[in-house]
Amino acid sequence: MKKKAMKIGNGYMSQLKLQPLAAALIWVTTACVGQGSDTPESDFRAALLTAGPVTDVGWYAGGYAGLMMIEDSMGASVSHQQTATPAEFDEAFIAYASSGYGIIFAHGNEYQDAAIRAGQEFPDVTIVVSGGGRVSPNVVPLIFRLEEGSYLAGVTAAYVTESKVVGMVGGVEIPPARGAFLAFEAGVHAVDPEIEVLQVYTGDWDDLAAAKEATVAQLSQGADVIIHNLDNASLAVFQAVREVVEEGRVAYAIGMNSDQNELAPEVVLGSVVIRIADAFHTTAQMWQEGNVGGAPIYANTEQGVIEFVINPMLRDRLSDEELERISSTKALIRAGEIDVPRVVFVEGEPEDH
Amino acid sequence: MTLGVAAVLLMLGGYDPVQAAAAMLRGSVGSWNTFVSITLVRAVPLLFAGLAVALAFRAGVWNIGAEGQLYVGAVAGVWVALTFTDLPGPFLVTSALTASVVAGGAWALVPALMKLRLGIGEVITTILMNFVGIYLAAWMVHGPLQERRGVFPQTDRIVDAARLPELISGTRLHLGFALALVLAGMLAFVLQRTRFGFHLRAVGASPAAAVVAGRIDTNRVILLTFLASGAIAGLAGGVEVTGLTYALYEDLSDGWGYTAIAVALLGGLRPGGVIVTAIFFGALQAGAGAMQRDAGIPAAWVDVVEALVILAVLGLDRIRAARVGHHAGEEAL
Repeated sequence: MKKKAMKIGNGYMSQLKLQPLAAALIWVTTACVGQGSDTPESDFRAALLTAGPVTDVGWYAGGYAGLMMIEDSMGASVSHQQTATPAEFDEAFIAYASSGYGIIFAHGNEYQDAAIRAGQEFPDVTIVVSGGGRVSPNVVPLIFRLEEGSYLAGVTAAYVTESKVVGMVGGVEIPPARGAFLAFEAGVHAVDPEIEVLQVYTGDWDDLAAAKEATVAQLSQGADVIIHNLDNASLAVFQAVREVVEEGRVAYAIGMNSDQNELAPEVVLGSVVIRIADAFHTTAQMWQEGNVGGAPIYANTEQGVIEFVINPMLRDRLSDEELERISSTKALIRAGEIDVPRVVFVEGEPEDH
Repeated sequence: MTLGVAAVLLMLGGYDPVQAAAAMLRGSVGSWNTFVSITLVRAVPLLFAGLAVALAFRAGVWNIGAEGQLYVGAVAGVWVALTFTDLPGPFLVTSALTASVVAGGAWALVPALMKLRLGIGEVITTILMNFVGIYLAAWMVHGPLQERRGVFPQTDRIVDAARLPELISGTRLHLGFALALVLAGMLAFVLQRTRFGFHLRAVGASPAAAVVAGRIDTNRVILLTFLASGAIAGLAGGVEVTGLTYALYEDLSDGWGYTAIAVALLGGLRPGGVIVTAIFFGALQAGAGAMQRDAGIPAAWVDVVEALVILAVLGLDRIRAARVGHHAGEEAL
């Protein structure tokens, strides 16, 4: 192996002698070709940054749908960039802020430090950081109270589990994810404190293999309801559950972030839905009215941004009485009668659990 | 031709290739500020890592581990920057960078010793050490080095004294770029003008001949080259956190340690060449961001276009090499 590699290496050395020149040349050639046109643009410009693909049928897709909604219903000219590294965050903020984008949705807490920096440099631009933890006059976190939907999912899971073991498969252990799982557990235990709740974080929102492995492990430990908090990798959770169902076991998955009931209708019992698009739209409207700044924006069940949607195809797995209790629990949460646990993570936010 | 393929692909995808090309250029070399603040800034880690890879490859040391070395360099740099905050300005940032050099070198020591003592190929071991390095950084930001509030997977922000000053005021370009250029000059000098550089190239050309004809201690040359390569890759990480991000995050690098292999090879494994190719790759990445923002082309498409441009450059060079003729092989010495 080494010998072969060496040969390739030496070959390159001689062949690639003129590379830099060639590289420069092609760059200049492309430069001459590309004198492009500009698309007509509106004065109201909104941008979206995501750290993952908007094809994830979940978190990022929701953000993108929000951007599209702002384009369609508010006539904004919009733009989206998928970033990979923290170094790119600053770059994207600067690029958008200096080309007339008034509001930038940074769809993830990873953007918060760069957002604060960019916010200082461009005081006229508003940056909305989904799940962010830092506030400044023009940089505001948009906090989704995912806990409220997760609690309902927990109640539902407790009704259907026969093994009295349920599982949670998470991606990266960030506060909103911790909060969602905490609330799920509380929902489960509100019905039956004896139920065992398994928990694992794969460390990656999009790693399909890791998510599947984690799900298989929990299923083999007896779990028969698995909730996830993943992005792209959620598909692997559904697949793992589907495989045991095909073997004749009874098991369910619970979707998260968007309505994932359609993705695997035979196994997804319901989905904790964040209507991210609605939240973005509402936020953009608030911003146009001059009402965004200096304080976090909260999106919850009260505004219908957070919901738990039961898959109509599997609705019959729950008795009428159980369905009744689920909707009365929902009403109690909306009314603030149930204290759903959550993880506080915005700097300066009161720690009222 | 590959560029033609890229254009056709973009058209098939319903995107305007002219607009795409224009966005790519505007976003990379469109203005002085764009070039300095985006392209050159993006080139910095590629430059360090590219130099690390080029140096190793010249000695026939196949260090594929720049990615891991970069991460441990970043971890060590951030740790020093967060811990010894009482040190006066220049000392703190210097100590942080020194720590990243040491950490990168130490990370390379493991595969170096495995190669020299046990005869285990470094291609495998350096790749494996990458995973260890990347996950070490991930664990650090979830564990020992997590921000004080213990909420987000990142470290606290480092103090001002631990930050590299900007190189050109009003831009994002930091001193790290100058450091990289100086380093490239030093490496070029060492490779061409010193005894050690000669030995290094001799070992790279043929270890057996180096022993027999040159009576060179190949093991010593390999060890030192490996350590230096790791140290430089470690510095890439240290410079990134002290010059740009001011904190350690999980996804600090977008595979720069691997891109560095292409940077080094395209640069003919020569420090001067690496400077040019690193800036070229920086421009390509900067342009890729702009293609998303200004031409509305999704990230996956942009990656394809990026790859095709690199292929085009490779192809063009092949043709040139063929025209220049068959004087291959001597360049190494």
